Amino acid sequence: MKAKDKDIAKFYKDATAFTCISNPATALPIARLNDDYCDCPDGSDEPGTSACAHLSPLSPHNPANGAGAAGSNTTLALPGFYCKNKGHVPAYVPFTSVNDGKCDYDVCCDGSEEWEGVGGVKCEDRCQTIGKEWRKQDEARQKSLGTAGKKRKELVAEAGRLRKQVEDRIQSLGTEIEGSEIKVKQLEQEVADVERKEKGRVVKGSVSKKAGKLGVVVGLAKQRTEELRETLERVRGERDSSTSRLQEVERILSTFKEEYNPNFNDEGVKRAVRAWEDYAARDKGPDVDAAHDRDLDAMTKSDKENGLDWEEYEGDDDDSEADVLYAFESYLPPSIRGWLDQKLRNLRSTLIDSGILADTSAPSSSGDSKSVTDAKDRLTAAEKEVEKHRKTLTEHQDDLAKDFGPDDVFRALKDQCVSTDAGEYTYEVCFLSKTTQKPKKGGGHTNMGNFVGLERIVVDDELPPNGKGLGSGERIAMKHENGQHCWNGPNRSTLVVLACSEVNEVWRIVEEEKCVYRMEVGTPAVCEVLGGGGGRAGMEGKKAGGVRDEL
Amino acid sequence: MVKHENFKTCAQSGFCKRNRAYGDTALSSSNWAAPYSLDPASVKFEKGILTGTVSKTIANTGEAVRLPLTVAFYESGTARVTIDEERRQKGEIELRHNSKAKKQRYNEAEKWAIVGGTTVSTGAATSKAAEKGTTKIVYGPASKFEAVIRHTPFGVEFKRDGETQVKLNDRGLLNMEHWRPKVDKPAPEKKEGEEEKKEGEEAVVVESDKEIAEDDGTWWDESFGGNTDSKPRGPEAVALDIEFPGYEHVYGAAEHAGPLSLKETRGGDGKYSEPYRLYNSDVFEYEMDSPMTLYGAIPFMQAQKKDSTVGVFWLNAAETWIDITKTTTSANPLSFGIGSSVTTQTHWISEAGLLDVFVFLGPKPQDVIGAYTELTGYTQLPQQFAIAYHQCRWNYVTDEDVRDVDRKFDKHRIPYDVIWLDIEYTEGKKYFTWDPMTFPDPLGMNKQLDEHERKLVAIIDPHIKNKGNYPIVEELKSKDLAVHNKDDNIYEGWCWPGSSYWIDCFSPKGREWWKGLFRYDKFRGTMKNVFIWNDMNEPSVFNGPETTMPKDNLHHDHWEHRDVHNINGMTLVNATFDALLARDKVEDKHHVRPFVLTRSFYSGSQRLGAMWTGDNQAAWPHLEASIPMLLSMGVSGFPFAGADVGGFFGNPSKELLTRWYQAGAFYPFFRGHAHIDTRRREPYLAGEPYTQIITQALRLRYALLPAWYTAFHEASVSGAPIIRPNYYVHPGDEKGFGIDDQFYLGSYGLLAKPVTKEGQEGQDIYLADKEKYYDYFDFWTYEGPGTVNVAAPLDTIPFLMQGGHIIPRRDRPRRSSGLMRYDPFTLVVVLGNSGDAEGTLYLDDGESFDFQEGGYIHRRFSYASSTSTLMSEDLAAAAGKKTKEYLKQMEKVRVEKVIIVGAPAAWKGKGEVEVSEEQSGKISAARKVSLDWHDKEDGKAAWAVVRDPGVQIGSGWKIAFA
Repeated sequence: MKAKDKDIAKFYKDATAFTCISNPATALPIARLNDDYCDCPDGSDEPGTSACAHLSPLSPHNPANGAGAAGSNTTLALPGFYCKNKGHVPAYVPFTSVNDGKCDYDVCCDGSEEWEGVGGVKCEDRCQTIGKEWRKQDEARQKSLGTAGKKRKELVAEAGRLRKQVEDRIQSLGTEIEGSEIKVKQLEQEVADVERKEKGRVVKGSVSKKAGKLGVVVGLAKQRTEELRETLERVRGERDSSTSRLQEVERILSTFKEEYNPNFNDEGVKRAVRAWEDYAARDKGPDVDAAHDRDLDAMTKSDKENGLDWEEYEGDDDDSEADVLYAFESYLPPSIRGWLDQKLRNLRSTLIDSGILADTSAPSSSGDSKSVTDAKDRLTAAEKEVEKHRKTLTEHQDDLAKDFGPDDVFRALKDQCVSTDAGEYTYEVCFLSKTTQKPKKGGGHTNMGNFVGLERIVVDDELPPNGKGLGSGERIAMKHENGQHCWNGPNRSTLVVLACSEVNEVWRIVEEEKCVYRMEVGTPAVCEVLGGGGGRAGMEGKKAGGVRDEL
Repeated sequence: MVKHENFKTCAQSGFCKRNRAYGDTALSSSNWAAPYSLDPASVKFEKGILTGTVSKTIANTGEAVRLPLTVAFYESGTARVTIDEERRQKGEIELRHNSKAKKQRYNEAEKWAIVGGTTVSTGAATSKAAEKGTTKIVYGPASKFEAVIRHTPFGVEFKRDGETQVKLNDRGLLNMEHWRPKVDKPAPEKKEGEEEKKEGEEAVVVESDKEIAEDDGTWWDESFGGNTDSKPRGPEAVALDIEFPGYEHVYGAAEHAGPLSLKETRGGDGKYSEPYRLYNSDVFEYEMDSPMTLYGAIPFMQAQKKDSTVGVFWLNAAETWIDITKTTTSANPLSFGIGSSVTTQTHWISEAGLLDVFVFLGPKPQDVIGAYTELTGYTQLPQQFAIAYHQCRWNYVTDEDVRDVDRKFDKHRIPYDVIWLDIEYTEGKKYFTWDPMTFPDPLGMNKQLDEHERKLVAIIDPHIKNKGNYPIVEELKSKDLAVHNKDDNIYEGWCWPGSSYWIDCFSPKGREWWKGLFRYDKFRGTMKNVFIWNDMNEPSVFNGPETTMPKDNLHHDHWEHRDVHNINGMTLVNATFDALLARDKVEDKHHVRPFVLTRSFYSGSQRLGAMWTGDNQAAWPHLEASIPMLLSMGVSGFPFAGADVGGFFGNPSKELLTRWYQAGAFYPFFRGHAHIDTRRREPYLAGEPYTQIITQALRLRYALLPAWYTAFHEASVSGAPIIRPNYYVHPGDEKGFGIDDQFYLGSYGLLAKPVTKEGQEGQDIYLADKEKYYDYFDFWTYEGPGTVNVAAPLDTIPFLMQGGHIIPRRDRPRRSSGLMRYDPFTLVVVLGNSGDAEGTLYLDDGESFDFQEGGYIHRRFSYASSTSTLMSEDLAAAAGKKTKEYLKQMEKVRVEKVIIVGAPAAWKGKGEVEVSEEQSGKISAARKVSLDWHDKEDGKAAWAVVRDPGVQIGSGWKIAFA
């Protein structure tokens, strides 16, 4: 009456006696087979009833549950009740569902698991309809899979093309670098040559010619420095007042957070508290550090106090005026030097632009002539070029080394986005970039995590008839971490689990834990690799029917 | 951390402070004379009821206040003492502030709390043997009880077998604050418009010439937390001292988070310094080991001494405080404590209402609990699903989420019966609506659940969102069915939806309206498998004083909220219960029993559904505290109680979650719940080995459902607790009176002590009697009395079977309890020292009211060593209309296995037993069935299994082992 799978059927051929499959020492008269009483410690004497359903590590321990002597093999011998499902695909339904008064058509379309008719239940055989529908859907699924497979090929081709691009670029970069390196060598030679030529020629710029201008420059510099100092002081004053206001607000808010009554659950208050916590948890930005403040103190002192006496320069015509612009820095306290240096460089270029200062880099302290300097500049430029190429090369090499999944396929999806609506939000994943939650009612988007890498995970889901689901087995998943911080929780993160589909689409989004999301996404990119062959997985799903769990 | 500043201490509650002070003065002055006396001339005794007038003498004026007294003696042996105040009773008082409040002392608490047991005793009679100055009534079973009423000062002593058990007003703390007009003193201390004196601050004591000074600072108004109570009737507290001479332990006065045996409350090492408080409140993050008030109130207390239990029930719905002190009296000063006894003194203080106290004289715990529940009603026999496992979370966020959780349970072979929806399913916290974005298809969801006989419980709270375009609030307003404020206009407060109004379920019209809201065509998206959770019914009002309503709010018939506060929660559940009954048509054959979960409760709420201990925390101390809390509910007549498994606030470690499921499997109400800010923690998410261990605990609960259901049936007819503390089962064992971390399940001798401490791998279990106890899981044998240590690694629940019982089980794991309906039974016969055993089984369809018409099976199984026979006898009352139909339906349901633990050695090698069955009134010819023998091993008992006796669960049969 109760059918079995062929592999298993052989154990049940003997018409007079039965030995438990895993415990051949236990022999039973044939009347004890399927008599709704569990005799074998492995449950093999009850393939057609629920009598051995309790044999499971999920059941409470009990000596009397083991059915047999201690030490016998209590691993279940059978994967479940075998439904022939004539006209459809055979499957195992868990023993816990046998004769419980409910038709489990999702697994057992022939209704055979309710053979006892408890409580008057009658489960007619629906395999014709279900099988037909399944085949129809399977066909559609296969077709879709075929298309998906083709699409994947296209994606792989596209990825290949993109990869080729990178490879090509790497190659050309190699050539370019080589060329640039040769150039650098040539330029080094040139510098050496020019320097040699210039040696012995004493060229000292006429000082008197520029004497008057220096005075002007120093005057301007003084005025400018004065302005900068005033501005700095003002800005600093504004900063201090803002800081203290900010601190006051933060104090108010943290008191507010301490003292508000969470029981009131006023949405507005709750939102404010959340926002405050998010704010408080965020990087505060650099604290106003004391060293920096001391620098500012020093800067805002009068120049004299800083050891800079403009008068000294205003009357001093001895040195090269341009030299002074650089040399005077050495009189400054080191804390100001860097800052002022930048300002002065800017000043200098302003001066050059306005024609006040000669556009020449010649009067450097080393006293190189213009031709030497030019040669050196060319060398520096060439060296920079080589550096730039090398950096680009590394980037491209890194890119090649990155995991873009099997066949490099995700290369073709980079930055493509798909989204779905769920509840009040639209959820979006941009491949290899990030996941986002967007409120439908408007308002700010929430980053649910930035892409950090791929991983493989094992899933075990029932595949819906339309094939839009993860199914069972190993799947590729994209990890996204460090999204926006969650109130009373972690930074948001999303695991995007991929399975084969004809088009890129988000199937499901669940918040598995507070601010930990899982997105199930279909994409042709994973077809026929991990997560591929949805149709086949579907059949396995049916067959398995949760068989494994109780083993 | 609980915010103490949000809740009053006794000193901040005027009447509590006044009465504590009154008591202290009385007890400290040597010449104290209680000013209450019963006028002997007024005493009448007629048909079991004594009446008379107590007069209270006002010290300063000598004026006498007339207080009508009634002492009623009921058939059950319960006595009831009621004192009212004549002037208020007649309405001859003036209210301040033009208040419209009712002038009487609240006299309708009994309307809500009492449903039976008030048949007056015909046997009660006055005794001629009364001493001078007393009146004596003899009453109770075999006239063994006496009430001796002392005239001056007024007091009552209750005796059983000539021995005093309970004394009222023995210490003279009786105090009824009589009505008086407010006399505005010319004193300059308070000016109009000036700030009231600070809360709890020492009030200015008005010194009078002679007598004790009375603190009148809180007579006329009182402020707390920025709210001022206008107290239009002035001071009106009632207080009484009740003494239990020779009784060291008192239990009850639920609900508090503390030990089962109540602590002293007047300070000292390990004692409380605040009285136990009963004022139903939404206490956010409540603390452990505290007399602070919680969500519900049952003013019923039992006292226990060796072989004697007595009790009192203080029927008052207003804010109540109870002080407890204990004194040791030595029989002989030279006896060094031997023969000394401890007496427990209690002081009951309520803000308003009648003085109305019931006295129960036992002598057994069940006698007292039985008498109390005869008055207040028995636990409703719940549907079977309600005692199976409930999966809750704030919140399952979409209907698809619910469906997914449903599928995942099946996928992981974890049984569950009910999934719950907290407030987020509604559209903007408007009850009776569904959020169209997140729950677009509630019916589809409910149908999926129904496929495996699962249920949905949705929350409905009493606050109704004050927002336009919401027909419910429009009706509430236009029909004027909401609670009013002190000015008799609609009261507006804040709760989940923001501005809200509160349905007044004291109003018959309000209840009638509420009833209509649950009809399937009104509350769309619900169907027959949808049930209700009433939360926030203390009521919780976010911006109210102590997170509840102002006391001067007005309810139906102009009772002040002060009068009815503790009953308020029950009225909502009552209305919801009626609504669930009314939504199914009367002609519907399978009219199902309602299920309502409530957070707030009062004496009598047990009739209407289950309670849970509110918002606990995912912390070990909360797991530990859940057991004494639920035991306390059990002995308070409300045994259908549970605590949130896993802890509501916070994230439990996996170990804690696992241990909590192991404990939860023994909660009468078994629900996992979690706060919205916590991580998901459905059992299948825990990972191995945790998921497997949790599943074992769940399956244990399901396998034992026949025993649980029988225990619930027992509770539904006798009020007996479902999980029972040691004192209840062994009232003669003084050592066990303080034990509240282990308990027995029903009458089955199943003794559990779940692990409640982190990292603990063994458990000391106290065995009260000289009897064999076997480990439930491996038959390891222990022998009492004394303490034994049971190994308790993470996958093991310390769980023993006491010899002498027969336990019915259903061992086949199913997806839900509904799908076990036709599964066969296993009987576990546990043989102890006597060699005999017995146990009962009650079974019905688990959902309808057919059992009231005989549609049930009730059997007694017994094994007698003298005849070596196991028998099944019928316990059912005479057959009813539905008896035959039900028996027919169950005729194929058989006993598939009988396991005998501690089997006699003589059975070794026996191999067979004889089974005979009663069929259509005749005994069938005996069949032979095999008997498998398993010898003793290490410390484990010998056991035997009768292989498939095949007898019907609903019929008589016999298995002969000899």
